Amino acid sequence: MSKRWSLRNIILIALIAIVCGVIFWLTSFIYNALTLILTPIGLAPAANDISLGLWIVAGPLAGAIFKMPGVAIFSEVAGAVVEMFLGDQWGVMNVVSGLIQGAGAELGFAVTGYKKYGHFQLLMGAIFTTLITFTWDWFKNGYSSYGAGLLIFLFIVRFISVWIFSDPIPMAINKLLKRSRAIA
Amino acid sequence: MNAAIKLFMVIVIGVEISFIQSVPLNLCILAVSCCYLLIKRVSIKSLLYLIIYPIIPATGLLVSQLFYGIQGPIIGWVLFTRLFAYVWLGATFTMTTNIKDLAFTLEQNFRLPSKFAYGVLTAFNLVPRIITEVQTIRHASLMRGVTMQLWSPKLYFKAILAAINWSSDLSQAMISHGFVEDAPRTHVEKTTIRWSDFAIFAFWLILVQVPIFVF
Amino acid sequence: MTTVSVSHFTFTYQHRDQPVLKDVNLTFPDGKISIIAGPSGTGKSTLLKSIAGLYPEFANGDYTGAITIGNQNIKQIPATDFSGLISMMFQNPNQQFTMTNVYDEIQFALENRQLDPAIIPERIDDALKFVNITKLKHRDLAALSGGEKQKVALAIIIAMDSDIILLDEPFASLDRQSRADLLHQLTRLRDQKQKTIILVDHDLSGYEKVVDTFFYLAPGQYQIKQLTPKEVAALLVPFDNAELKAVSFPLPNAGDAADLVLDHCELKQNDTTLLTANQFKFLNNKVTLITGENGIGKSTLFKALTRLFKYQGVITYQQKDIQKIKKKKYLSHVALVFQDAEMQFVNITVEEELALSMQNAVHNHYSKDEINAMLKALQIDGREKQVVYTLSEGQKKKLQIIEMLIMGTDILLMDEPFKGLDINSLATVVEMLRTASQKFGQTIIIISHQLSGLETLFDYHIQFKNRQLAYKEQLL
Repeated sequence: MSKRWSLRNIILIALIAIVCGVIFWLTSFIYNALTLILTPIGLAPAANDISLGLWIVAGPLAGAIFKMPGVAIFSEVAGAVVEMFLGDQWGVMNVVSGLIQGAGAELGFAVTGYKKYGHFQLLMGAIFTTLITFTWDWFKNGYSSYGAGLLIFLFIVRFISVWIFSDPIPMAINKLLKRSRAIA
Repeated sequence: MNAAIKLFMVIVIGVEISFIQSVPLNLCILAVSCCYLLIKRVSIKSLLYLIIYPIIPATGLLVSQLFYGIQGPIIGWVLFTRLFAYVWLGATFTMTTNIKDLAFTLEQNFRLPSKFAYGVLTAFNLVPRIITEVQTIRHASLMRGVTMQLWSPKLYFKAILAAINWSSDLSQAMISHGFVEDAPRTHVEKTTIRWSDFAIFAFWLILVQVPIFVF
Repeated sequence: MTTVSVSHFTFTYQHRDQPVLKDVNLTFPDGKISIIAGPSGTGKSTLLKSIAGLYPEFANGDYTGAITIGNQNIKQIPATDFSGLISMMFQNPNQQFTMTNVYDEIQFALENRQLDPAIIPERIDDALKFVNITKLKHRDLAALSGGEKQKVALAIIIAMDSDIILLDEPFASLDRQSRADLLHQLTRLRDQKQKTIILVDHDLSGYEKVVDTFFYLAPGQYQIKQLTPKEVAALLVPFDNAELKAVSFPLPNAGDAADLVLDHCELKQNDTTLLTANQFKFLNNKVTLITGENGIGKSTLFKALTRLFKYQGVITYQQKDIQKIKKKKYLSHVALVFQDAEMQFVNITVEEELALSMQNAVHNHYSKDEINAMLKALQIDGREKQVVYTLSEGQKKKLQIIEMLIMGTDILLMDEPFKGLDINSLATVVEMLRTASQKFGQTIIIISHQLSGLETLFDYHIQFKNRQLAYKEQLL
């Protein structure tokens, strides 16, 4: 796979984002079920934190496959635009989320100057993604009104979810692609 | 209105209401969006969907604030109405504009290289096939006695393998239809940006500020 | 001058022992229709895509030698001029469009050619009219049938007005009528617009009246040679089918046992009814052949039987509605050998794939030694460590068949399992399937276009015709 923004790579990055979006969409029943279960005990936002990993997987995954600057953020935004036109419930705000989440993964690779795309960069990406998305929810979803205990709980849950889908899972997928000779 | 400017406007308003805790503001946006969609003759079915869909997550946010919010129930109602405002505001864009309009204007007016505009467009058209593919992969693996969970790396792996083949097929087809990366193209449907686009943009943006000061 | 010449052309794929084509020298005459025939997987498409300038860029491989148009090596032709010279129509009608509707797609192609926007609408209308599909002008591509999509693809080529038209198995998924229509359009393009047309297909039948120059790629030869009229005639003769015509099958009796039954079942695609079946039984422990035209819905039927396609009505397995059986459990009884072998693979190497099937087999019909013997009989032994995705198409198919036989499901549906198999392998596979049916009592249902060499395999024949399934005594 050549490392440039060729037509083929652009299509593939967009397709990878869509694949992740489709799989996420297939899990949306989990999100809804979780929300329903957690609503009576007032913990519905935790559904968001638990499932966030599945949301953000495209960025780290595409970044680790292509190893080029900009891929993580492009994949998230392209995926968000496609989902927006498919009539996803969050519509336009999806694009904002895509930018924010893509930025997290992108920063993880940027920290080491886009020289490496390994566990450390993915871990950093997970940390950035958790911090940025949590800040966004601080305003958007009213996290600012929660007590410290609940906030810490949500933060930890979110980090674990984001990390699993930022590091071990993309790395495992990447390894399978390499072993199958699909990518070099 | 120019699709990209419209999208930008909707995003700006969406981001702004994320930072302002005001139920009247959310309700105003909801009302204006609703009127706009009615004028644009969006189907009743779609409107019903817009009412039903946000109920579960919005209620979740509300109840959570009632239980754990340290600033009282009002924040709960802000979040509840905000979520509806997001969805209805977003619909003013998605239900009246299509991806082609957006791609065309980004290519012609915002200097987005055509390979990005058409690359994403062609990928978009493959969405139904990707849904079928993911389901088929899971079925096929069951026939080998393997259950692929939705978070299984193997599921992503198989779907990406298919995506690699498709990206190759699609780009070959585009090249065969005369597409050349970074080469100039002509345009039958010319998209434009008019002064009126900016005027509408400014008008709505200012109007959004009104409820903030009134209430 | 748009004569296409190929000289000393040798193409080698990565991870393969042999070049797929070796020192090929050919000339495709100007203003004529040429065909390259030969079994699938032998390199015909490779040559065609190299002429189209798509390979080696889109292949894991490279070629030596030269392809010239007139006197110019194609590698020297600027990309922006290329599509004015050559256009290609692809095998899969679903993966060749960028836009959502017919008009936009043709417009997209003409904008790429940098045509003056003022003349584009007229060009589009003319091209649609030429192919006789003006009524499709504003239709969504996704809602078109395979045949209609290929006609749109042809209209694009006509609108682009390229001198040379390449077609890569363009009729693979089309019914007879669509195929005849398209072939007729090609002759008009040759006669009225003097286009040079090069087609690739696996057999020659149906082309004899249309094509000017015949080329043949014999299996295992890595060479393409031009055929004399005598050789063309000779190649067409074996399809006279005397042996197949002599075959006769029994018809089922009312009391015959059947686990898999269609009960007032209806299959629909884009509002077209593909099949209605009031009560139809697939007989137990037998090998049954399903025949029918391309695009009639045979594969869709298999997808419905494996719950991959939504249908109206009921399908039962052992008197139970298959929708009410747990999916995993049902699919351990009724499995499908997909047309695309890669779909079946779950692991990476040959060894891992075989181990998985042995581990998860529903019934352990085969010992380790027997499996090794099967691999050997199909000449894919000694490749344990090889990555399955780097096998040739024929090898993938063989591995897929073996691993699905090992699974030992009660019912095995096979969608075109013989495509790309050489004659010796075919005989071996037939032997294996007979064993599976007679010794282990498996119910095997096969969709196949290819019939020769299979006379001894089938117990029953189902014809899929006019939206109906019916058992038939005759094969042809």
